Amino acid sequence: MSNNDTVYINQKSFKEKLVWLLDHFKREWQIYVMLAPMIIWFLVFLYKPMYGLQIAFKDYSIFRGIEASPWVGLEHFNDLFSNSQFLRAIKNTFLISFYSLIFGFPVPILLALMFNEIINAVFKRSAQTIVYLPHFISTVIIAGIVITAFSPSAGIVNTVLSWFGLDSVYFLTKAEWFRPIFIGSGIWQEAGFSSIIFLAAIAGVNPSLYESAVVDGASRWQMMWKITLPSILPTIIIMLIIRIGNLMEVGFELIILLYQPATYETADVINTYIYRQGLQSGQYDLAAAAGFFNAVVAFVLVMAANSISKRFSRTSLW
Amino acid sequence: MRKLTIAAVALASTAFTGPVSADGHGHAKISDSKVELTVHMHHKRYTSYDESWPVEVAACEMTNVCLKNATIGSNTKNSGEAMNLLLASGKIPDIVGTSRIKDVVNQYGPQGAFMPLNDLIDEHAPHLKAYFDERPNVRSALTAADGNMYYIPYLPDGKYGRAFWMRTDWLDKLGLDVPQTVEEYENALRAFRDGDPNGNGLKDEVPYFARQWEEVIRLVTLFGGRSSGSDTYHDFMVEDGQIKHPYAETGYRDGIKGLARWYAEGLIDAEVFTRGSSAREYLLSENLGGATHDWFASTSGYNRLSKDIPGFEFKAIAPPANVNGERFEEHRRIPIKPDGWAIGGMNKDPVTTIKYFDFWFSPEGRRLVNFGIEGEQYDVVNGEAIFKPEFLDAGPVNSQLYQIGAQLHARGYFQDYKYEIQWSNEFALEGIALYDEGDYLIDQFLGVAFNVDEQAVYDKHWPSIRTYMLERQQAWILGSGDVEADWDSYTAELEKMGLSKVLSAMQSAYERQYNS
Repeated sequence: MSNNDTVYINQKSFKEKLVWLLDHFKREWQIYVMLAPMIIWFLVFLYKPMYGLQIAFKDYSIFRGIEASPWVGLEHFNDLFSNSQFLRAIKNTFLISFYSLIFGFPVPILLALMFNEIINAVFKRSAQTIVYLPHFISTVIIAGIVITAFSPSAGIVNTVLSWFGLDSVYFLTKAEWFRPIFIGSGIWQEAGFSSIIFLAAIAGVNPSLYESAVVDGASRWQMMWKITLPSILPTIIIMLIIRIGNLMEVGFELIILLYQPATYETADVINTYIYRQGLQSGQYDLAAAAGFFNAVVAFVLVMAANSISKRFSRTSLW
Repeated sequence: MRKLTIAAVALASTAFTGPVSADGHGHAKISDSKVELTVHMHHKRYTSYDESWPVEVAACEMTNVCLKNATIGSNTKNSGEAMNLLLASGKIPDIVGTSRIKDVVNQYGPQGAFMPLNDLIDEHAPHLKAYFDERPNVRSALTAADGNMYYIPYLPDGKYGRAFWMRTDWLDKLGLDVPQTVEEYENALRAFRDGDPNGNGLKDEVPYFARQWEEVIRLVTLFGGRSSGSDTYHDFMVEDGQIKHPYAETGYRDGIKGLARWYAEGLIDAEVFTRGSSAREYLLSENLGGATHDWFASTSGYNRLSKDIPGFEFKAIAPPANVNGERFEEHRRIPIKPDGWAIGGMNKDPVTTIKYFDFWFSPEGRRLVNFGIEGEQYDVVNGEAIFKPEFLDAGPVNSQLYQIGAQLHARGYFQDYKYEIQWSNEFALEGIALYDEGDYLIDQFLGVAFNVDEQAVYDKHWPSIRTYMLERQQAWILGSGDVEADWDSYTAELEKMGLSKVLSAMQSAYERQYNS
């Protein structure tokens, strides 16, 4: 639709607008049909459940239902914020997310740049397949691999340590080791697959830029810094905003499979806290309150990331 | 109506006292015409009710009451989730049977989702009434905070659950006697560690291992502490009418101190917290594991390994005397499970339903639910149900019985230990005889039913306290803290987190429930 269209409808009466709208639908209906599944998905799975958020402010009984449960105001939030374990879970959520952002976010970009520099096609394809593979393994298996790898008696990590004459360490019960292990296994699992989007962005860079750079005598290194990276920067920024928006969404399935009471101190995040205190003991209202808080923080984060990015790089999601 | 009721009671009581035989089916008729009741039945082993289970077909014939499957959530193995779906749907079937039904009925029964059973039992269910009259403690344990009983439980028979197990052939090899005290037990574990009893020249033996790491904590009983008051881990306990939590007692402190030392010395599996449920299978079949604390029936079965490992003998030993000279086994089968069935709040015919529940407590019903069908699974020999040899040989008896609809724990029934003893192996029976002789079991805390206020206190404080207790517990065992040095700050923190509030809420619930 052009600017003329807009001007045109603004000057017309309501009836004419309606006619225009119908006409528009008639012309573009295929696009709306394609849009429909996503809109329905949003309505059914994201907007409708928002109705249930009110149980965060209610003394919820499953049998009575949402309507008939009495209001209790902010009681659940009071309980949560007076609980040192919940505060600790907030801290852990931020720290785990923050560290995985710092250490995990650059890795797929580096991988993509590296793949881009590989000349032998066979080697390139097999290397890519190998790093994509862990993405398709289920979390339970990943946890099994991690537990075995870090086992003090038979694990490969401790075997290597013993070659250097070091004592074996029971890593999974040491609070100080939890974050490195968790973040490391996360990077191992997802970095390859996440690099696809950057590879796609690199493939979209105009080849004439490289051709003129070669003519000007630029090295591979210079081309990467001066052409590839700046060209994929918008993609990087968008991915970063999305990552920041998901900062509160730590992959808690893996945490539940890996943590121990001994490592709660660093491993217990909001989602595992919700799972343990809320869902396992049937306190859905309390869990909803914690989840609500989680969502509000995530919303603020994504808004902030977006506007910061808009201001400094003129790239933004909206 | 009234007249009919009395007649039914009279009929049912004749069944109770009368001779039990195949031709006694007529006694069990609850209704002259066929009555259909809807049922939600969910358990991780059978996620829906099967109308074609032979036991159900027989019960339907005997009583004229037939159940129609109305289970919700059959696509999940998680009974709690299925139960929540059922409750949220608002349509409760006539009968609801599931695992861990107790808390559900106690919470939602007073809101009208389930029917109180007290009067129904007193007026229409002679066998149930007789059962409860003989066991007032069971009746108390089943009573919700409002004084009503909302479910009929699965009542396990047989007392024994877990026991201390040891490679007795290793003891012989190392020239040791079966340990009788905690010192001897420790020495035996140390000998397992150092004496290379598996003879492979490597120091790879794992002296004490466990499928559940909580079974390491169980060993605090050897140092005068307690690890739980019931068959649920980390549970409260009763001592002289006072509710306490074992993890706040000084015996526990001494126990953890001892276990931390054992762990540091390598007497306890270094990987016990992550080894998981295959620990027993792996460590025994690899000829590495020396001792554990586990169930009679399943653990005794590992003696089949003697085929592959020469001399392999894994036997139950009597609980070693603890530091105070007491010998006891903390774990036992709880007499009342939180599993069972209840009458839905919208049931139109509760009288027939309770009579149907009562049928399973009558001699015919109890035999049907415990042994299956006469002539199919068992024969009657001298008035006793004896499994057919070909049935005993066809695989694990309990899973065979589940398949025909017998021994379903999502039903309220009274188990008959005679069923189990027929398929226990010699090692289990020998161990049970040993434990019988020593009379090592102790009483269990059967749980309390909270009223709304007590529940609120419990929900608010307990999950955090429990988390804190387990965190400290592991840290102490793993050596990243010293239990003696930390004890005062630990108890102070428990107090700050509201342990005494939880205990007094439990105490008031306990007194209401058991002292009336």
